[in-house]
Amino acid sequence: MSAPRTGLLAGLLLAATTAAQAPSMQIFFGNRPKEEKEYKVARWGPRGLPSPGYAFLAAKVVTMEGDPIEDGVVLTRNGTIEAVGRRSQVRVPDGYEVRDCGDAWIVPGIVDLHCHIAANGFDLNDTVHPTNPEFRTLDLITLQHPQIQRALAGGVSTVLYIPGSGSNMGGFGTLTKTHGDPREALVRFPGSLKIAQAGNPERRTGDLGMSRMGMNQGLRFTLQRGYEYHLAWERFDQGKGPKPEARADLEYLRGLFRHEYPVSVHTQIYQVVLQTFRQLRLEFGLWTFIDHGTFDAYRMSEFAAEIGVPICAGPRAYYFDPAASRFVGIMQGWFAEGMKGWRANQRGVGVDGIAVNTDSPVVPQEQITVQCAMGVRLGLPDVVGMRAMTLNPARIVGIDHRVGSLAPGKDADLGIWSGDPIDPRSHVITMVVNGRIAYVRDPERPLW
Amino acid sequence: MHARILLSLLVLGGIALDLPAQRRRPPTGRPAPAAPDNQPAPPPAASLDRSKVKAWTLYKGADLHLGTGEVLRRGELLVGDDKIFAIGTGLDLPEGGKVIECAGRVISPGFVAVRALGLGQPSGNPGKAADGVNPFDPTIKMALAAGITSYGAIFEGGTASPDGRSAVLKLAFGDLKGMVLQEDSVLQMRVPLNPQQWQTLRDQVKKVQDHKKAVAEHAAKKDNTPAPKPPAGTEKLLRVIDREARLWIGAAGAYDNDAIREALEVARLLDVGVVLVEPLTAWSIPDEVAATGSMAIVNPRQVADPDPGRKDSTGSNLAQCRILSETGVAVAVTTPRGGFAGGPSIGTGGIMGQDLNTPHIDAAFAVRGGMDNREALRTLTLDAARILGAESRIGSLEVGKDADLLILDGDPLHYRTFVQIAVVNGKVVYEKDKEPFYSHIGR
Repeated sequence: MSAPRTGLLAGLLLAATTAAQAPSMQIFFGNRPKEEKEYKVARWGPRGLPSPGYAFLAAKVVTMEGDPIEDGVVLTRNGTIEAVGRRSQVRVPDGYEVRDCGDAWIVPGIVDLHCHIAANGFDLNDTVHPTNPEFRTLDLITLQHPQIQRALAGGVSTVLYIPGSGSNMGGFGTLTKTHGDPREALVRFPGSLKIAQAGNPERRTGDLGMSRMGMNQGLRFTLQRGYEYHLAWERFDQGKGPKPEARADLEYLRGLFRHEYPVSVHTQIYQVVLQTFRQLRLEFGLWTFIDHGTFDAYRMSEFAAEIGVPICAGPRAYYFDPAASRFVGIMQGWFAEGMKGWRANQRGVGVDGIAVNTDSPVVPQEQITVQCAMGVRLGLPDVVGMRAMTLNPARIVGIDHRVGSLAPGKDADLGIWSGDPIDPRSHVITMVVNGRIAYVRDPERPLW
Repeated sequence: MHARILLSLLVLGGIALDLPAQRRRPPTGRPAPAAPDNQPAPPPAASLDRSKVKAWTLYKGADLHLGTGEVLRRGELLVGDDKIFAIGTGLDLPEGGKVIECAGRVISPGFVAVRALGLGQPSGNPGKAADGVNPFDPTIKMALAAGITSYGAIFEGGTASPDGRSAVLKLAFGDLKGMVLQEDSVLQMRVPLNPQQWQTLRDQVKKVQDHKKAVAEHAAKKDNTPAPKPPAGTEKLLRVIDREARLWIGAAGAYDNDAIREALEVARLLDVGVVLVEPLTAWSIPDEVAATGSMAIVNPRQVADPDPGRKDSTGSNLAQCRILSETGVAVAVTTPRGGFAGGPSIGTGGIMGQDLNTPHIDAAFAVRGGMDNREALRTLTLDAARILGAESRIGSLEVGKDADLLILDGDPLHYRTFVQIAVVNGKVVYEKDKEPFYSHIGR
């Protein structure tokens, strides 16, 4: 009688004490190419662009690669971080400009995987067909847009700029920095395929196939065509078949099945996430992540962890559980709690599996830190919150060899903050993107 | 006893009263006239009668954020029934009183939301708000969990002259009588006015002035004839001019400097400070606002880019709260609205940090814009109460004011801080551990 209860108690205690250190999920990357040069469909943006030598000194350097460094220094040159360490251990080379940031914190530039604002106006929500694998956001990037300027002032240096959710398959998104010439700012195109499984496409699809079953069918048909096109190219590459006829509408789906980039899925409630898991991850074997994870789907955290689907939570920060009258933090739910309140002892996605997104302009891009703050307010450990804005989204989308943490060889994208970036009272003093000073706050007229 | 409290306060004033840096910019524009509305009304100390108190409570050991910008470390707060009787250290607890140990906690005045929807207020045109409030509305508990203990219920108004109905309601859960603090202390109008509307307003002001002169002359005569009545249609304007009601001025369309200057012209015509409702660009002319003794309701996160078609267009500025406050303009913060943001309501839609579930996040953005952390608490407490014309009763921990307070587990403006206990009219109306909303979140 008391044994299961003791076990449950012990389990809860364990969860409480080791949540932040709990074994995390393994993200499913499929047969992702190991090196950038092995990519055939996706294009990577340039690296190592000229930038001056800087030595940024600060009271605290949060690298995301280990414990924060007190009294730290970050050396950057030619778009890249050259060294990170304690001031006493890093020699500043001659000719480097020393920027002493005093009590500031230096953190990695923030990465948001659900952004709709890298252009003037909302010109990315087209619907020509019920599914639109022929669409891409690459040609829309407009980084002088005031909303993007504010994003930069809010500490965001990389975004996944994706089509809207007006159709089931909205097209291909672009990973771009938030500063500079669009060619130099490019990180990777395609960044992801945007799929909206439900919650918005219903309003555009028409009266045939507008319920979840119909939308599911349309996606599967299109993905099936893409898969066959991919196989034809694979046969050709192995010398086993003729050269396929080039198809602009299927070309990027080919890269998706080569696991060069993931599918990012706008989801809504439990059923929709279930469909993502079954259809995209298990049936089509895609590198998949939940983007716009809201409502009560966190109850499936164990399923997500088992099949390697990481979670970007937002724009909603909580699910109001009407049965329990509780404000359940969605990030915390996915991270550690699973079916809490339903069936206990579910596994969460853990420290590597959770990120936060804004769906800007739904929540303004510069308020991604508020999204994170609310996740932490509702139970997520703050160290996980910091990962959820930096290293985790970079890993989830496969660009962590470039961004997401402060380490030698990575892009010099630094946020220099007045204090803890999660605290809405803190502000960005200076933003560095690709080694260049991209924003300096004017206290009389702060952009954010 | 009184002398002892006074003495302890004096001593504390020297050693423990933690004053924030006072930063006042010298006005650069026209000199500020003595603005009668620029100082908060004192609490009515005469209402304190110790002999009539039935229940005493002493809150002990917390850091007291007084709501005035000051902090009293490890102080004591003596509440008799529904009023604050003393603040200091080493206070005597009258016999039979209860002590609530608050060591390690922070006590702040209950937050005042200058505008809120729902929360037990009557819907539609209520006539008297007191006839329609619902003290058992479940959103009251959610608002208390967010730290709100009173708010402005603005029912209507916003025409070309002071008009509308409103009430300052308290979240006295379960206590019908405790809910209505006052009615119609806020009237509204909007700008811009067309020339005809200006002429009408000027005519009405003239009528009110003539009426006030007639009343004064009648009073001087000391005969028993009935006092003159205000001319029909000027009753509300009279209340504004007599400072019985705050006049909130919104703007139809963009609240740019043209609209702000027009609202300030109304203030000068009425010779009374007004309340500018979300004036986007007031930061660029703070001295002009201060010179009229006016105040402002600001959503610090509201952004507008400069209009490229206008040379004098400035757009918004995150530093607005700091700039206005430093110039002597009282500021209350309010929540983002429109789009996905919840606006001034307690929602369960999931967008936390953007609605009245977290009013302290709005004030946090005043700090992000450069305002001192302790001063910024005023945007949710004393200055918010002033904007509702209710500062003699609520908005700060001061002797004689209503016992509306929060026991918090951290700095009032820290994003992780939760309300542990909310007290309205001296009664505990919310306890985090006993309500379902946040009890699962440990601190």
